[in-house]
Amino acid sequence: MISPGDFFILFLILCSLGVVLSVFLPERRNPLLLAWISSIAAISVLWSSGNVLLYGLPFQIELWTLPFLGTMVLQMDRLSALFVFITGLVFLPVSIFSAEYMKKYFSRYNLKTFSVFYHLLFASIVLLLIANDIFSFLLTWEIMSILSYLLVNYEHEKDENTSSGYLMLAMSEAGTIMAAFAFLLLANGSGGLDFASLKSVSAGLGDSSRWAIFLLSFFGFSVKAGLVPNSIWLPKAHPAAPSNVSALLSGVILNLGIYGILRINADILPVTQIGMGLITLFVGTVSALVGILYATIRNDMKVMLAHSSIENMGIITAGIGAGFVFTVSGYPVLAGIAFITALYHMTNHSLYKALLFLGAGAVDSSVGDRNMDRLGGLMKVMPWTGLFFLIGALSIAALPPFNGFVSEWLTLQTMLQSAALQSKAVKIVFALCGAALALTAALAVTCFVKAFAMSFLGIARTKQAEKAIEVRRSMMIPMGVLAVSCLLFGILPTYIIPVLDHTITPLTQESVVDELVPPFFTVAKSDPKFSDAFVSEFHDLGAQTGRNVIPGRGLVVLHRGTERNPVVFAMSTSYTLVVLVLLLTGVFILIRVLTKARMVTRKPVWDGGVRRLMPEMTYTATGFSNPVRVIFEAIFRPSMLDERKETIAEHFRTAINNERKEVHIVDRSVFQPIVKWIQSMATLLGRMHSGSVNIYAAYVLISLVIVLIIQALL
Amino acid sequence: MNKWVLKGLKTGIKTTLYPDKEETSPGISPGLPQGKQTMGDEAQVVSRCPTQALNHIKDMISVDYRRCIHCFRCLRGIHNPVDWDKGYEWAVSIKEIDDASRMLGKAFDHSLHIRFVDGGACGACISEIEQINKPYYNIHRLGFFITPTPREADVLLVAGPVTDHMRLPIEKAYDAMPAPKRVIAIGTCAISGGIFGPSFASEGGISNLIPADIVVPGCPPPPLSIIHGLLLVVSRKPSASLTSPKSTEGERPHD
Repeated sequence: MISPGDFFILFLILCSLGVVLSVFLPERRNPLLLAWISSIAAISVLWSSGNVLLYGLPFQIELWTLPFLGTMVLQMDRLSALFVFITGLVFLPVSIFSAEYMKKYFSRYNLKTFSVFYHLLFASIVLLLIANDIFSFLLTWEIMSILSYLLVNYEHEKDENTSSGYLMLAMSEAGTIMAAFAFLLLANGSGGLDFASLKSVSAGLGDSSRWAIFLLSFFGFSVKAGLVPNSIWLPKAHPAAPSNVSALLSGVILNLGIYGILRINADILPVTQIGMGLITLFVGTVSALVGILYATIRNDMKVMLAHSSIENMGIITAGIGAGFVFTVSGYPVLAGIAFITALYHMTNHSLYKALLFLGAGAVDSSVGDRNMDRLGGLMKVMPWTGLFFLIGALSIAALPPFNGFVSEWLTLQTMLQSAALQSKAVKIVFALCGAALALTAALAVTCFVKAFAMSFLGIARTKQAEKAIEVRRSMMIPMGVLAVSCLLFGILPTYIIPVLDHTITPLTQESVVDELVPPFFTVAKSDPKFSDAFVSEFHDLGAQTGRNVIPGRGLVVLHRGTERNPVVFAMSTSYTLVVLVLLLTGVFILIRVLTKARMVTRKPVWDGGVRRLMPEMTYTATGFSNPVRVIFEAIFRPSMLDERKETIAEHFRTAINNERKEVHIVDRSVFQPIVKWIQSMATLLGRMHSGSVNIYAAYVLISLVIVLIIQALL
Repeated sequence: MNKWVLKGLKTGIKTTLYPDKEETSPGISPGLPQGKQTMGDEAQVVSRCPTQALNHIKDMISVDYRRCIHCFRCLRGIHNPVDWDKGYEWAVSIKEIDDASRMLGKAFDHSLHIRFVDGGACGACISEIEQINKPYYNIHRLGFFITPTPREADVLLVAGPVTDHMRLPIEKAYDAMPAPKRVIAIGTCAISGGIFGPSFASEGGISNLIPADIVVPGCPPPPLSIIHGLLLVVSRKPSASLTSPKSTEGERPHD
């Protein structure tokens, strides 16, 4: 039998083969090569990580030993395996999608470089995830950062792309430096640079270094994770990047930030202060709220999706923060649920965000425009893309039975579990964060109703949108694969939670699978863990429906509480789907029966009798999101320019010009003051440079005197 | 304090009892002229009519309700005024419904949805149509409802001579209505173009655009006449012909 390690070696060979072949093959063949090689590589890495994830066969590969830096070790444990699995899951459809999508760049940009960078990026991400010592981690992290910058800046002939690429690179490097300092503090006093030896000495660290490591690693990795306030690069990088790279950026690369935070703060040096958990929770919640608010008012599809990524990363981080708080407070079960929730949401986000970005890419390549105000009516010309985008939108808006619902519902339930905590202040923070996350979930629905309805429904607002054609099948199939996985991850949570539970058990030291997925299919009479009364009650409700037919533990997600309150929360998207299908088919058949004898005539939409229904007259994306814009005026704080040109009689306006400028709240309240402060300091210091040589000589003299005085005093 | 509940209870039901009982309140209708026997002054009477609604046929003066704007010139200020009808049941079905698929079935009797389109009316007909939705006339008690969209409407009410600009909206509204559908022309203008007639800017009546089934003469017709027209649509009132059917169908007033 081939072991996961062998598949991993195969993956590395395939990536190198991809790099070599893409250099030597003619440019025209490159996209197809990329699709084949990297999708096979994705399958092999999926197999490899899937084995580790399901059967727990971690493998370790020792690379060469470096002088002073120790041995470079690659090790895939279950936490790495989950992230690698998600990476493969996103890379597989995106690679297939790229074959057709990249053709539009032919003869404009070099496809060979894209292909080389793409394979290298894939390899570096996977290597980063399984790097097991500081040196290889930071090395692969840097390679990954630079390659993702190069891919985002692929359309380098546009100036704005270059500047957003630079912003991305600069912020990413700043984050890396912070993370590197966190690692240095960890390595201080340990024998080696591999994670195992760091872990062995981490228990002896003092409070101040723990705080320093937490703050440095959290805010350092939050740059890649796209958390407020380090998220400003994300909405700029996404519109610059090609859509397939955007899908990777949101579906894979943002996860790496979460991986870094989890690796340091949950694995190597588990948090010990409740404040660390609260900071994580707070930053996550603020990111979620700020992200969705800006997502709702943005009309460019990809900018909107970028802000929505910030929102989802915020929800994941809030889940992790709740997990930290529960861990510190001594509730390993609740902590386990919180971590499972966060990882589940991360998986889901990777799937549906990749799907939505591919959808946006399909629209972009077919229409040539991403502004929702200029799209519309695409459902008629691009029905399949529309259907898959709809599934992505339903998933991200957290509507059952799709995957977003399960993880967002679990996140909100986790927030409610704070009732178990002792401290009142912590409870209040949890309550406020829970309320903010609920608001986020509601706004997400608004945001994606707008995104889908304004782009795909109604009438076409431009000629291009009217003349769009459905994308080729090789672009549709990847979207279909992702859409189906969105549905599967939504209706089969009881099969996914045990896998995630394996992943987090090493972090919380307690398996919580019995707490979340009671084995209704297999539980026997007089089971010590499940009282007969409890089981029979749920069997009466039908929780064992499917027993002996379906494998697994059951189809109900249920968290048990105390005797007084036996069920804290419970739901089953699987049964929901069955009921939903039955209801919908029932209604459909009923309508067919009732209207069988009726004559049905089709007439155009009633437009109020206007002479010609112009696209401008229909509801626009701007109009749809305007209530949100007005309600949250205090956050957006736009500067308005209202210019009216009127004839002398003042009855007829010849032109009305309304401009609205918004500076992102993070830019406005964090970065602009810093820039202003630095500039004012520079002006202050600049006064020293008067240009007169005599004064400069005086500076030299004064410094010399000061140094001498200090020397004398010491 | 707000005492509208008490006041309402004290006031009691003021809504008209029509169609169950005759409405007899004074001023409920301006009335219409009726024809009369000539007494040798027919030329004088006929000449007083500004819209050529009065005609002298044999020994009778007959009234063409398609044109009459009840201006009272044939009632007041002359020696021998014409007879004056103070009633209001003026609506007339002008089109035989022969096609079974166009028949409004029994289901519509107490559930009739109305879409009103103003085809360039002066405002009089509009205010009368407004009245039928108000407490005194209250068509809801009869199961008639005004809807905002023709997609749900069974009856199209049109007032005004159908100006050039309103032709397309009316056509579109009629087209958007589901079959079976009915058209009621409200007021003299909608029937024949009234004092505007057909011109470069006016169609001269709804019948020149889409087939009207029921006409409600009057300038404007009182609300009860409009209700009578609606009742005619659902056959809750027997169809009558104009009392003085001096047909000038096909001939336009100002031709």
